[in-house]
Amino acid sequence: MTSLLEVEGLDAFYGDFQALSGLALDVRAGETVALVGANGAGKTTFLKCLVGLIQQKRGRILFAGDEIAGRAAERISRLGLSMVPEGRLLFPSLTVQENLMMGALNRRPGAWTLETVYELFPILRERRRQSPSSLSGGQQHMVAIGRALMSNPKLLLCDEISLGLAPMVIEQIYQSFGRIRASGASIVLVEQDVKRASGAADRVYCLLKGRVTLSGNARQLGLDELSRAYFGT
Amino acid sequence: MIWIETIVNGILFGGLYGLLGVGLALIVGVMRVVNISHGEFIVLAAFVGVSLAGAVPTLHPLVLLVPIVIAFFALGYGLQAVLLNRIVERTDPFAAILLTFGLAVVMRNLMLEGYGADPRTLTAGTLAYASVRVFGLAIGVLPLVMLGLSTALFLALQVVLTRTRFGRIMRATADNRDVVRLMGVNPARVYNVVMGLALALASVAGVLLAIRSNFTAYSGVERLLLSFEVVVLGGLGSFWGAMLGGILLGVVQLVGLKFDPNAGPLYAHLLFFVGVLLRPNGLSGARS
Repeated sequence: MTSLLEVEGLDAFYGDFQALSGLALDVRAGETVALVGANGAGKTTFLKCLVGLIQQKRGRILFAGDEIAGRAAERISRLGLSMVPEGRLLFPSLTVQENLMMGALNRRPGAWTLETVYELFPILRERRRQSPSSLSGGQQHMVAIGRALMSNPKLLLCDEISLGLAPMVIEQIYQSFGRIRASGASIVLVEQDVKRASGAADRVYCLLKGRVTLSGNARQLGLDELSRAYFGT
Repeated sequence: MIWIETIVNGILFGGLYGLLGVGLALIVGVMRVVNISHGEFIVLAAFVGVSLAGAVPTLHPLVLLVPIVIAFFALGYGLQAVLLNRIVERTDPFAAILLTFGLAVVMRNLMLEGYGADPRTLTAGTLAYASVRVFGLAIGVLPLVMLGLSTALFLALQVVLTRTRFGRIMRATADNRDVVRLMGVNPARVYNVVMGLALALASVAGVLLAIRSNFTAYSGVERLLLSFEVVVLGGLGSFWGAMLGGILLGVVQLVGLKFDPNAGPLYAHLLFFVGVLLRPNGLSGARS
């Protein structure tokens, strides 16, 4: 399989604080990669570097053959990189449907339309005229995923999508990944829940203090091994 | 009957006040910055109106609004692109305040240099004296045209904000300027258009106000104060709130003048003071 995303020697900074140190990672076309790690490990920073929301960085980020490390976020998103941010970050002034339509501003040709997003999450069709703030946490996650899908991304980045949700809702959201993968998109799942993320992924990377401490095939890595890498013990 | 007439005239006048503030409300709502030079742009539009009226005396000032609005949209777009986008994303609110304050001082002095300190006004010809009788009330045609124009502009803005793709982008940018970037939107370009719209609206208010009352190069401060009162009274960032705030200020000012002809805008300022005490989030309840 060819690499869709290749990251080499990525350092990222918040002022003088170095959040990522020499991070290397790759995502192949069509696969799901889980990025696990405790709070403060650098997972969200890594995603923000990819989408261009952190400019204080050095290293190489190749996406679909294009070097994107120095590009502005709005230009990167046009290449087919979409993100479901931590905390959803929906637009409260817009209705559910308007939120979804915002995702289609940079629409590439593909399977995802308002209709297919509503098929994936039927509850959103009923709630389409409501403000997202009137929805439950799980439904808000569905809007955030739908919004990211509306651009027909090559790579979908999901940041902590199970955080604060009931197990049943998490299950429903994780089930949707099968259909997302079938549409041809690769997925990067950032999670604190090692078991769930590694269960849904082809490969796993474990981060600790801004460095990759373990990586490998999700089926071959044991939970004990992952836990040790997770806590650095 | 005289009181009803005063209140009706206050409403007609207040629509214009609403227009003074709506540009400022748009800037605060989308960019979360305060443009201290807003009043100077209102006065500049009035001076441009005076110059154009002198150059083309055959055209009515209301017709001159068309080129003035286009020019002020371009001016706002350029100003934002060249100057204000440098500071708009800073977390320190004083950066925008200081920059636009400096701009206001420079503009005021340039207008003083160019037009002098004498009071000016724009004449609306026979339209200024025309009136119609509605239910026994004498209502001026010009104030009626002004309220109609203000309402039409508010409605147009409402349509743009709620029914167009750009309106959706504008609201989303106001909600979260980082997240819209993930959707391929460059917030700086949105801000350029918003500032263009704000100054275009301010230019309409400036020209209409110049038809109704005298102005000088120093009138910007007073215009800015009124704009602020309209915006804060209506609810920061809420443009229908701005319309309501403007109408309330207009009514109270004219009713106050009936009681006390020397009061000027004193009662309007008092209303603002009481309004802020009773409803700090404004009449529309919008959060800052």
